[in-house]
Amino acid sequence: MLLPKFYYHEPATLEEALRLLSEMGGAARILAGGTDVLVRMKLKIDKPSHLISLQKIPGIDVIIQRENHGVTIGAAVTAAELSTNELILERFAPIGIAASRLGAPGIRNRATIGGNLVNARPAADLSPACMALDATLKLKSAKNEREVRVNDFFRGPGETLIEPNEMLVSIFVETPPPWSGGAYIKLGARKALEISMVNVAVLLTLQSQDGPIADVKIALGAVAPTPVRAFAAEEFLVGKQPSSELFKEAGAIGVGMCEPITDHRGTMEYRCLMIETLTSRALNQAYNNAINWKPLPV
Amino acid sequence: MKRIIKLTINGKPVETAVSPNQTLLQFLRDDMNLTGTKHGCGLGDCGACTVILDGKAVNSCLVLAIQADNSEILTIEGLAQDGKLHPIQQSFVDKGAIQCGFCTPGMILSAKALLDQKPNPSELEIRTALSGNLCRCTGYQKIVEAIGEAAEVIRMREES
Ligand SMILES: Cc1cc2nc3c(=O)[nH]c(=O)nc-3n(C[C@H](O)[C@H](O)[C@H](O)COP(=O)(O)OP(=O)(O)OC[C@H]3O[C@@H](n4cnc5c(N)ncnc54)[C@H](O)[C@@H]3O)c2cc1C
Ligand code: FES
Ligand code: FES
Repeated sequence: MLLPKFYYHEPATLEEALRLLSEMGGAARILAGGTDVLVRMKLKIDKPSHLISLQKIPGIDVIIQRENHGVTIGAAVTAAELSTNELILERFAPIGIAASRLGAPGIRNRATIGGNLVNARPAADLSPACMALDATLKLKSAKNEREVRVNDFFRGPGETLIEPNEMLVSIFVETPPPWSGGAYIKLGARKALEISMVNVAVLLTLQSQDGPIADVKIALGAVAPTPVRAFAAEEFLVGKQPSSELFKEAGAIGVGMCEPITDHRGTMEYRCLMIETLTSRALNQAYNNAINWKPLPV
Repeated sequence: MKRIIKLTINGKPVETAVSPNQTLLQFLRDDMNLTGTKHGCGLGDCGACTVILDGKAVNSCLVLAIQADNSEILTIEGLAQDGKLHPIQQSFVDKGAIQCGFCTPGMILSAKALLDQKPNPSELEIRTALSGNLCRCTGYQKIVEAIGEAAEVIRMREES
């Protein structure tokens, strides 16, 4: 499999990268981990004449804890890093678990969170995880900077709000309040290297350890042209006392949101059944993590 | 336009010109004559092209040679020392974990990256480390066993 010819740029600063991007517009692509864009170029689905590498840009591949209120994840942080970072696994578990389920080790060592989000595949692992955590994306161009909620970011398969002259710089996630717990479940036909058939990310917050549900976010992937939030199921749950029966009912409501397709990975009927089962399973897991919430050691 | 890259391959410094559209895999096989690294799918699916780049297992078919500038690469050719096979290689031979051998370099480098991080892995950790490496011949069982045994040999060697 040969790569077509292109010009390669390796800017040493973010400003230079943004300037190149605005000069070349639609003819250029960012090269992060390359696990999507190089595959697409080999298959001749994408033909950029310029690749702009993020490799030399300082600070774009780091995770920064913001006191107690949140975390900023650089767009070029790899799935391998996210899946082993203690802060992420402890406080932002859906992202850490989703990262650990993305591809296989060789892919995770290169694949970045920014590439996963901008690529906007309906079955991507990190998209629903970021949606359940209500992440905010920082988009920058040579002249502008704006913040977009990840819940508004996806427009269709491969389509997002990002403009050709913009770069995703970082992802900010607020620290969930006390008595929060997260979960992420991915269903594929085999354990690794599998595009999901259905994936579910949940963040559940209790009013107190034995209290009712204060807030819950449920995001589903691979069930519609973009990952979706199961708002009806969320509304149904808030204010109620958690129980497995309640989570089962929520799962059934969750299916209402979805327009799954039939393909070689699974039929529509099977997918609907799995959405219901996995949503209630993820809610149970998130609840168990919520009642075991602990302050971080200082 | 070609560019000069400087890197270390199997402990030897290399300085050479590469084209932007050359993958690390093509560079190793065609320019460096290191044909132990195999070209299977070219799309990240099979793991035959696995090499270790700065300590991490990567699919060299999805890395540009130019991106390997200033890096350290380990390929299957760099494992044996003074004509003696590395313990992982030796236990693949002893255990019969090799049939046609096409997946073997990638398997062994994925295993090496694992054992460098986790000298005493569980069977699940071994299977996870190999989850991006396909084998059409062996059925994996003997490969998993060979890696478990190699881990023991390496641990014993380091204790003594
Ligand atoms: C074998 C294999 C298995 C895979 N398995 C999975 C899986 O299980 N789950 C899953 O979700 N994905 C999977 N993928 C897809 C891919 O690995 C992920 O989507 C990955 O996160 C992409 O990140 P990257 O850094 O490699 O992206 P790249 O290929 O570098 O970039 C992808 C796209 O995003 C753009 N882009 C990247 N970074 C930015 C940025 N900061 N700002 C603006 N645009 C940007 C690029 O221009 C390009 O168009 C798999 C891929 C392969 C080859
Ligand atoms: S040749 Fe690179 S993964 Fe198959
Ligand atoms: S030994 Fe033949 S592919 Fe693994």
